[in-house]
Amino acid sequence: MPTLTIDGKPVEVEKGTSILEAAQKLGVYIPRYCYHPKLSVSGNCRMCLVEVEKAPKLLTACSTEAAEGMVVRTVSDKVKAARRDVLEYLLINHPLDCPICDQAGECGLQNYYMDYSLAKSRFKNEDKVRRQKRRALGPHLVLDNERCILCTRCVRFCAEVTKTAELEVMGRGDHSHIDMKEGKALDNGYSLNIADICPVGAWTSRDFRFKQRVWFLKKTPTICLGCATGCLIEAHHNENTIYRTVPLPNPETNTWLCDHGRLAYKAVQGGDRLVKGVIKNGLIDFEPALREVAARIDEARGAGAVAVLGSPWLSIEDNAALARLAKDALKTENYCFDFASEQGIKDGILINKDPSPNANGLRLVKDAHGGISQAELSSRIAAGQIKVVLAEARAAGLIKDALKAAGTRLIVFAANKGEIPAATYATLPYASYFETPGTFVNYQGLRRRTTPPAEAPEGVKPLWAVVNKLAAYSGSSLRLDSAEDALKGIDLK
Amino acid sequence: MPFKFTEDFKARAEKICAKYPRRDAALIPLLHEMQKEAGYVAEEGMDALALLLGLPYSRVKAVVTFYTMFNREPVGKYHLQVCRNISCHMAGAEGLLTRLRSRLGIAEGETTKDGLFTLSAVECLGACGSAPVMQVNEKYFENLNDEKLDALLEDMKHGRVQR
Repeated sequence: MPTLTIDGKPVEVEKGTSILEAAQKLGVYIPRYCYHPKLSVSGNCRMCLVEVEKAPKLLTACSTEAAEGMVVRTVSDKVKAARRDVLEYLLINHPLDCPICDQAGECGLQNYYMDYSLAKSRFKNEDKVRRQKRRALGPHLVLDNERCILCTRCVRFCAEVTKTAELEVMGRGDHSHIDMKEGKALDNGYSLNIADICPVGAWTSRDFRFKQRVWFLKKTPTICLGCATGCLIEAHHNENTIYRTVPLPNPETNTWLCDHGRLAYKAVQGGDRLVKGVIKNGLIDFEPALREVAARIDEARGAGAVAVLGSPWLSIEDNAALARLAKDALKTENYCFDFASEQGIKDGILINKDPSPNANGLRLVKDAHGGISQAELSSRIAAGQIKVVLAEARAAGLIKDALKAAGTRLIVFAANKGEIPAATYATLPYASYFETPGTFVNYQGLRRRTTPPAEAPEGVKPLWAVVNKLAAYSGSSLRLDSAEDALKGIDLK
Repeated sequence: MPFKFTEDFKARAEKICAKYPRRDAALIPLLHEMQKEAGYVAEEGMDALALLLGLPYSRVKAVVTFYTMFNREPVGKYHLQVCRNISCHMAGAEGLLTRLRSRLGIAEGETTKDGLFTLSAVECLGACGSAPVMQVNEKYFENLNDEKLDALLEDMKHGRVQR
């Protein structure tokens, strides 16, 4: 365990730690472009140069191992001059198109220039090397080689994380540029991470381009519900519109984010969003739709022919509300919160075998409220004992064939029109988890709660609130005034 | 037509690969072999080579584009490779290049219509002591100036310079 001194402060680190990481431990920030904690060390950008006593030259902090007795200075005159010079080099051919660059505001070149340089360039503007701009590479990314500083983070990401190795630095010297096979698309399922790790504006997201200046964005940490992995993400939003989501790196679950999960936010505010009720195929206002649903439930209720189905796509709160509806308001035993799920990382990176985010949370609801097994529910449906099934759309999709065969009326909750199974009798909208808090348990058993970055469209309520109203129509009160009320009686451990 | 290595090439490739502890280390020697065979390294050839060595295509392409001695298109009878690095540059390589451009009517990377000359600007040829240097195919011509260059061009046009 070597002990070294950085800017006069001693620090003890594990053997093999770099100076940059040792400094980080002390809270000393060393600027960097090519270094990324989850990628191999390249040492090509030279931004992290520091002065080490007895070393004849400045050393790169990212690739120099901390050694016993090392005396490191990160803010000496020599280091400051080196940073200024490195920035001058990096900016020689930079197009300075910040006014039209999406990276502006979160750009490594802008930030470090303000922090470490503020020097005027000695190179003529018209002598800059021109390269191809605005080149769409794949469905998600645009490459601007003029802005690139050749840090090779993208190259290493494709080689080491996705192991697809599409990208390379082609050419040499002044001709060096990032490129890939002609005619191929950069689409490896994780490609948008490249836009995140690019320290400059060379890689930008096609989805986010020109939508919003980054300094207008507010940031809300929440979770991705794209699969059972349950990655931590940060939603960037402004004036009730989400513009993008980015990963929130954490040691437990994720450093990156898959493209599917990253773009899942789009469903919430796209044209496919359900903001009204649907009876058969006609859109109607929420209240009449709710009355219609309540009437159909009431019809079947007397004969004990209503069933409620939980969903691994819903939060613990909403599932618990559904369980309470069945148990306490409809007073039926036909409710099922039993879902088989096979979980585990499918591709060795992040994507889970289980596409639903809350199978483990659903188990907690089942433990607290009981209910019949899925096989039992299926046999009761097949036997014609069930006339009406109330369920979340995607969970209902799993049993829709059985329902159709038995002629059972299906009533679903859906956030998007695309989720509604064919031959659904009635659909009620509910607030998505970008709009209302919900608790989820991921495949590792980690319980996490969403923080809503946006508000639900007018008239759309959280599912527990819709359930509360339905119970009132059935003549009993569940007394659900908040999501927390629904959680009562559930052992969250 | 899809690119295919000849059986003869494959046999040679295996021999070359066997010289190295890792298969992918044979990349540059094999690129030289390919160039010797066809005069250039074809795009489809890179695909096939990547497959042969278990490398990603991008890696092969990166190496081919890094080194100026690999041609990516067929070259003329005489491949004029003028060094553009610092010693040659200071000794007048830029002037030689300009002269060649105007005399041959082509830019760097192009071939004359008669298929006689291809002009390239290349990285250091390792002969700084006798700058400026031009390599023609495999042969060096050193301490060049305008007169020497003109004479050399005449000789080549009349086939007096061996390939």
